[in-house]
Amino acid sequence: MSMANFTVPTVTNSVGANETLTEKVTVKDLDFFYGDHRALKNINVSLYHGKVTAFIGPSGCGKSTLLRILNRMYDLYPNQRATGTVRLDNDNILSPSQDLNLLRAKVGMVFQKPTPFPMTIYENIAFGIRLYEKLPKSELDDRVKHALARAALWDEVKDKLGANGQSLSGGQQQRLCIARTVAVRPEVILFDEPCSALDPISTAKIEELIDELKEDYTIAIVTHNMQQAARVSDFTAFMYLGELVEYGDTTKIFTTPNDRRTQDYITGRFG
Amino acid sequence: MVDVAYEGGGAIAVSEKLDRAKVLNRLRLGDAIFRHMTRGAAIAVLVILSGIIISLVIGSWPALHKFGFAFLYEEVWNPVTEQFGAIAPIYGTIVTSLIAMVIAVPVGLFIALFLTELCPMVLRRPIGIAIELLAGIPSIIYGIWGLFVFAPFLQQHVQPFLIDVFGPIPVLGTLFEGPPYGIGMLTAGLILAIMVLPFITSISRDVFEAVPPVLKEAAYGLGCTTWEVARNVVLPFTRVGVIGGVMLGLGRALGETMAVTFVIGNAHRISGSILAPGTTISATIANEFTEAVGDLYTSSLIALGLILFVITFIVLAFARLMLMRLNARLGS
Repeated sequence: MSMANFTVPTVTNSVGANETLTEKVTVKDLDFFYGDHRALKNINVSLYHGKVTAFIGPSGCGKSTLLRILNRMYDLYPNQRATGTVRLDNDNILSPSQDLNLLRAKVGMVFQKPTPFPMTIYENIAFGIRLYEKLPKSELDDRVKHALARAALWDEVKDKLGANGQSLSGGQQQRLCIARTVAVRPEVILFDEPCSALDPISTAKIEELIDELKEDYTIAIVTHNMQQAARVSDFTAFMYLGELVEYGDTTKIFTTPNDRRTQDYITGRFG
Repeated sequence: MVDVAYEGGGAIAVSEKLDRAKVLNRLRLGDAIFRHMTRGAAIAVLVILSGIIISLVIGSWPALHKFGFAFLYEEVWNPVTEQFGAIAPIYGTIVTSLIAMVIAVPVGLFIALFLTELCPMVLRRPIGIAIELLAGIPSIIYGIWGLFVFAPFLQQHVQPFLIDVFGPIPVLGTLFEGPPYGIGMLTAGLILAIMVLPFITSISRDVFEAVPPVLKEAAYGLGCTTWEVARNVVLPFTRVGVIGGVMLGLGRALGETMAVTFVIGNAHRISGSILAPGTTISATIANEFTEAVGDLYTSSLIALGLILFVITFIVLAFARLMLMRLNARLGS
């Protein structure tokens, strides 16, 4: 793959000249390896506070891999390593001295499949809070309620907080996972194809939720659904074969992309 | 031309239908045989089980009739005067199994967690194979090893230390009273712990490996440490399997005969000290069956067997109950 093809991503800010963007996460010269296989090649991208950034691209292009670097989830597995820098505010989170538990408290993640823990609905939320804070019961109750309300789930589960989290429907489980993520008060939330296992109504609810959450967080979402990317995101990054092909304002990417490959992908010519 | 083709097609369809009916009939017969065989196998279990219970009850009847409930709480075991009470072997069985489980359950779970969560890939297979080999060692070998190697080692090094350290402490001291014999209930419990360890470890390892990686990632994603993931996600998710493994180990500890007979000392008495010799139900039966003259003696030994059966049953029932309460607490 010739590097001449690589387009330096530029953010064309059509959102409005009067709006200033704060960089929350800055990825610079990032390479990632599964053993000897180079899965990501020289990635440069920034995530902005209060904005949703969508990562699109065909299967195996490295979107999920990139997401899993942002909270160093890859560290759980041997033979996976990343080089380059990823700054969260001003800390390089790839540095070996990074406290992983602290990082993952700051960078929450919602997975493709809903992952409620084998405990009650209440405990699913309280569990994460208790990891970091020792709160009296009443305050904990408030936090749990707030988190569930934030995930638009409170009304549906308020009468059965003692039921097992795994007894909820798929869409509810996914919102429970979002509530759980929000409850530990992260700064960045990563969504890894959060709707791919859900029906259209649940999907709409999750999208609405992402839209509400973005005011307070920095959000990154990986999706296979291009309409979804267009609906929920402010910025879109198109990835192909481990490279970041194009990155910019979502409207721009979907209407007048610079790169031929981006154009082909969003018009459905491949992928 | 068109007609011929049509009729030809119809004929093929009909003959095909007939053939299929024949094939289906044959299949149905096969299915019926299969159904009856599986049912027969399942019923065989019930027949064997009830056969054993009935013969145990009939065999132990003379002893139970003679001694009544006193058989359960009398300590005397005197073949000469034909006075038999089962409390000493019952006590020994429960205490040795308890010692074994107190040691083997945490160690076994730790090994399994290490193997599934923390162990470098290169070490996984060797340790896993070693655990399985441990399960493959015949109990007679544990017995002679226990008697000739382990017991003297305990007598010379470990037991004096235990007596020195815990002896002066009130209450706890009574557990470590008396001279270091080497053989005794502690030794039997330790041997049992080694013997049940592979069961607990390999079953827990298998169920831990079945936890979906994404569930663990979700917990790590909240910022959990490995211990928190193990404690709050892996163990609750696998509770049924883990309790099953523990119960299998406990069942083996309760019934283990040969190794225990070698190292427990075979003394029909109850002692507060775990260093003292004692006996277990299975050790008593194995030791005395050949010399049991007289119907009452034989019957008393069979009654011991019945009691062991009942204890095992209670343990299993208790495990079920525990599982149900655990499920209720987790809100499923």
